[in-house]
Amino acid sequence: MKRPVAVVGVGQTHHAARRADLSIPGLVREAVDRALADAGLEHDDIDAVVIGKAPDMLEGVAQPEQFLAGAVGAHMKPMLRVHTAGSVGASTAITACTHVASGLYDRVLTIAYEKQSEGNAMWALSPNMPFTTPLVAGAGGFFAPYCRAYIAKTGAPPHIGPMTAVCARENAARNEYAHLREPMTIEDVMNSPVLWEPIRYLETCPSSDGAIAMVIASGDLAKQGPRKPAWVKSAASYAEAMWVPGRDQVSPRAGKVAAKHVYDRAGITDPWNQIQTAEIYVPFAWFEAMWLENLGFAEVGEGWKKIDRGEQRFGAHLPINPSGGVLCTNPIGASGMLRLGEAALQVMGRAGAHQVEGVKNALGHAYGGGAQYFAMWIVSTEL
Amino acid sequence: MTKLRNVAIVGFAQLPIVARDEHRMSSEMLYPAVREALAQVGVERDAIDYQISASTDYMDGRPFGFVSALDVMGSWPPRQDLHLEMDGTFAAYYAWIRMQADECDTAIVCGHGKTSEGEPDRVLGLQLDPYYQAALGLDATSTAALQASAYMARTGATDADLAAIAARNRSAGTKNPDAQVREAASAAGLQMSPWAVEPLRRGYVPPIGESATCLVLAAEGKAEKLCDKPVWIHGVDHRTEMQTLGARDLSRSASARFAAGKACAMAGIAGASAVDLAELHATNPAAELILCEALGLDPKAAKPAINPSGGAICGDPIMSTGLIRLGEVFRQLSGRAKDRAVAGAKKAIAHGTQGHALQHNIVWVLGSERRWS
Repeated sequence: MKRPVAVVGVGQTHHAARRADLSIPGLVREAVDRALADAGLEHDDIDAVVIGKAPDMLEGVAQPEQFLAGAVGAHMKPMLRVHTAGSVGASTAITACTHVASGLYDRVLTIAYEKQSEGNAMWALSPNMPFTTPLVAGAGGFFAPYCRAYIAKTGAPPHIGPMTAVCARENAARNEYAHLREPMTIEDVMNSPVLWEPIRYLETCPSSDGAIAMVIASGDLAKQGPRKPAWVKSAASYAEAMWVPGRDQVSPRAGKVAAKHVYDRAGITDPWNQIQTAEIYVPFAWFEAMWLENLGFAEVGEGWKKIDRGEQRFGAHLPINPSGGVLCTNPIGASGMLRLGEAALQVMGRAGAHQVEGVKNALGHAYGGGAQYFAMWIVSTEL
Repeated sequence: MTKLRNVAIVGFAQLPIVARDEHRMSSEMLYPAVREALAQVGVERDAIDYQISASTDYMDGRPFGFVSALDVMGSWPPRQDLHLEMDGTFAAYYAWIRMQADECDTAIVCGHGKTSEGEPDRVLGLQLDPYYQAALGLDATSTAALQASAYMARTGATDADLAAIAARNRSAGTKNPDAQVREAASAAGLQMSPWAVEPLRRGYVPPIGESATCLVLAAEGKAEKLCDKPVWIHGVDHRTEMQTLGARDLSRSASARFAAGKACAMAGIAGASAVDLAELHATNPAAELILCEALGLDPKAAKPAINPSGGAICGDPIMSTGLIRLGEVFRQLSGRAKDRAVAGAKKAIAHGTQGHALQHNIVWVLGSERRWS
């Protein structure tokens, strides 16, 4: 990046299955107001707005950023709308960082949201495309074979998915904003119905209403406070083609390339020991083990063992998703930015009851499409 | 003001705009555009740092329509990538921002969409806020007609004035092999066409059309190697407004005026009228008149020449229409405009818009020489 960039404010909504108390602009505004208050700024301090969400079919409004422009304070400002499938929240925040890094903008407001109660995500995510067998089974139907392939390749035992889901709920119980916070046991998960083998109901992300906003500022402004910023050491969005013969969908190359990009630029050579917490995009429990390997936290075939040993739990060596993650809160378009925002809160030392001790570097990560889009950043306490 | 890099358009490919490409999906239409653009600059995909595409799910009639574009943009090995749910001209803006941030030196910018597969007016109607405006059943032609009425009421412009603008575009369109509408029409003849939505006549608005586009951008140092006549970006700015029709003065475009002022200041020119030609993303004559007023252009003057391509009235492939304006300026300033070339053109404006009644506007100033030494 041409000049230093930092997160100076983070705001998120209280997430729920249905925020019937708010319209779509109201939901977005709740996050925007909190982010601006957090940064001690007003709309007039913002130079541009970058907004992202997942498919517009989820709410039934086409290119809804146009009708939201007033509510987010974008009137007479530059505004861009990003859409990179499930990774969109992360790629949106990264797009905002580039704006500031360019030197053309000093403070950019970035927003991601989804109000899934307005529509039916299963329907919206079950496209019937020409020349392709329609799965009509939502994202779970699409990704379950990837989980089966992971289990077949690594010999991971069946309790790993349920263990991951239980751990996520334990974490979400400490996060006042999370959607699903009720504790559950491995038996609860095992006894819940299989939706798409091997994925059970309680190993599946919910459908949430929620939004998050952040203020990204230049290094000079970030140093002026009022709060300790989260320095964006590195950020990247990569994508790969779908129809590549031999493409590894379990550990996609785009994920590895993006991770290497952000690690190299942040000076990280040993992610398991140089990163103190990571918020990674786990919509179905098995993906936590898969991403631990794809992101270089574990060798191939070893990701599930770290979970089995509890090394990724809150208070352990490298807490993964201390917020509870996507398994407990999933406003799809916002889920990626929630990962990046939670990583930022951890290095700012303001994650509240789910604050991990001694965080210097944190990873925020999201993926999307047919495991083709990867967007991530490393944030740090130091410039 | 931060020091800016000189960035140029070095290639542009577009499929001729057609009413319906019956034999190809959106991504199949995009592939030849990508290949032609790369052939123009004489490199393979590996030589390009960044890719960004522009499309909209609702026009594709399915979620994640842009994902299929990855396969035809050469996304293997994995590429640094982004997709905007916006016209391609805004995607070009972000590629330019990345170059200003020193994040890349070269980029391809793609626009695509199968406009013919749905009913664009109904799809665009779904952009309106779902509580008050969409519920009225307004479509994009209706909101454009409201805007046209507001402009005519304020300025006294007549149906004949609108017809004259449409006829000028139609005349220019006869020389553009990529235009969809290529038959000249007289102002008097167009005035005989029935209302689309009063006061806009069918002859004043484009038919449904589709295309696919690919623009190549490169920063100084690379641009000269990829193109014998790079067309340099001198200035650019974009601004949106709130959507609510009743909250805006529809007879004017405040955002286009503001963006033009910023872009011209960056370009170091007194105003948009200082250029040789302007390609305006106006899908009806009233929008063109409103934009001319906002940019300080005289729609009847010989210079700057307005829409030598025939403009969006002669072809409106949604998601590419704004990017085509940039591509047309590239063709004009790099000696590729053939029969429609504006003699001696050295500087030009490319405008793009998005949303109902010119909600969001981008103004580019480009030149055949570098902006910054």
